[in-house]
Amino acid sequence: MSMTLYHGEPNGPSFTVLSSLFEKGLQADLVHIGLAEGARHELSCAQQPEVAMSVEGEGPVLLVDGEAMTDSVFIACYLDDVGSGAALRPSNPYGRWETMTWCRQMIERTAPAAALLGCNAHPPKINPAMLAKIGSADLRARWEMIGAGVFADDKLADSKAKIAAAVEKIEARLAGRNWLIGEFTIADLESYAWLAGMVKVVPEAFAGKRLIMAWMERIKARSAVGKALALARVADPAIYWAPGPEINRWG
Amino acid sequence: MTEVTLYHWEPNANSGKPMLALMEKGVAFNSHYLDLLNFDQHKPDYLAINPQGTIPAMKHGNLILTESTAIMEYVDETFPGPKLMADDPLGRWRIRWWMKFMDQWLAPSFSMIGWSIFVGPAVRSKDPEELKAAIERIPLPERRVAWRKAIYGLFGGDELEESRRRVAVGIRMLEAALAKRAWLASDQYSLADANGFNLAYALPLSQPSLSNDELTPNIMRWLRAIYARPATKACWAMGRTSMVKRVTILEQPHIDRQPVA
Repeated sequence: MSMTLYHGEPNGPSFTVLSSLFEKGLQADLVHIGLAEGARHELSCAQQPEVAMSVEGEGPVLLVDGEAMTDSVFIACYLDDVGSGAALRPSNPYGRWETMTWCRQMIERTAPAAALLGCNAHPPKINPAMLAKIGSADLRARWEMIGAGVFADDKLADSKAKIAAAVEKIEARLAGRNWLIGEFTIADLESYAWLAGMVKVVPEAFAGKRLIMAWMERIKARSAVGKALALARVADPAIYWAPGPEINRWG
Repeated sequence: MTEVTLYHWEPNANSGKPMLALMEKGVAFNSHYLDLLNFDQHKPDYLAINPQGTIPAMKHGNLILTESTAIMEYVDETFPGPKLMADDPLGRWRIRWWMKFMDQWLAPSFSMIGWSIFVGPAVRSKDPEELKAAIERIPLPERRVAWRKAIYGLFGGDELEESRRRVAVGIRMLEAALAKRAWLASDQYSLADANGFNLAYALPLSQPSLSNDELTPNIMRWLRAIYARPATKACWAMGRTSMVKRVTILEQPHIDRQPVA
């Protein structure tokens, strides 16, 4: 089995996948691409439906024996299945349900908010030629709005509220435990991936939240996570953003 | 065996997903029907089960589970019966990818159209004060927005147009995927098919100019194959409204291409 991972800076979805890869002791050809410049749309697999129409937006692509995989949580599940390191999901079905449900809420509510706020604070840049290559019309529209600097006040306010809600939820969850699902799982990685960059963007949400700050330090202290973060080509990968999942269209 | 209770509406969309998974696995369960159009899901009895007021929810012994797709994976892993996830990790990834694509991208577009045509008009005739109170009882703010739009017919033309665009794109993607494989995401019937059937069972009726035996033969083959399964028949027999009876369109051996309305 040969694996190639096309990834961006270790933030957001690339963080989840790179950390999972190293947690599981797996080897892959690592190819750094400029997700925030739209470089994913130049890959030879870019027009495959699972890449072009990935709900995640600009995330990494794992190529395994010719099949291009996207969506970081599901790639992490795949790596968990094929790798040899400690399991990244609990061994019992209820614990796995908790992990998937937690990640779903993170993907659906927190990630779109974080991507919008991140792109507002640290705008990615795409050139018109690259824009024309984007297979998904709605992802292209998100790029166009970001390029034009269109960030509606109500969307920004709603996104900040969603980040605050996620922080509250995690803070409450960590009372009496080190990890979100009890043991260390993909839920910790996916939550960190979207929230690490929000500490500076929405500082008020994190004020006085001792447990989440300590949890972030615990995650950073893991050797696999350190390996992922060491792949950064910029001083602070947490300020590197590209269009993420879209904000829920109608509730 | 530990008792299973499923809180659900019709065998349709999110409610139908765990219903069909339980039926496929042969798991006996207590059916607790909630009338979505009567706002049963926002009443105190049910909020004690799921404070978010979303359906479905499943009780297994003392455990309470929500989120229909995650419940389906739990059902598959927990109970004996035919396996509904692929044996290989790549197949499991593909099943999850398609379920997310349908849950988060395609289904909201189908449901926006469905709510504007069916759900909104179905509840609009109720007492206006009663409706106002019903909206205020909805726990999740985003669901309050959704219900307000459906009840008062507030979907914008642009929103509906975008939903129609996505439905057309989604139908083309389903047809292309089903041209490659017998089932949507793997070589065997899986949760992705159970999920997809809940989304698409009425396609030849709701989108006759986009989905029929001439334009989308693979979708039609797939829908008929799922409808032929005993679990699907038993599941749809639990439906109480005319909406889910639309499934009988799949008994027609051939559905011609319809002119664009």
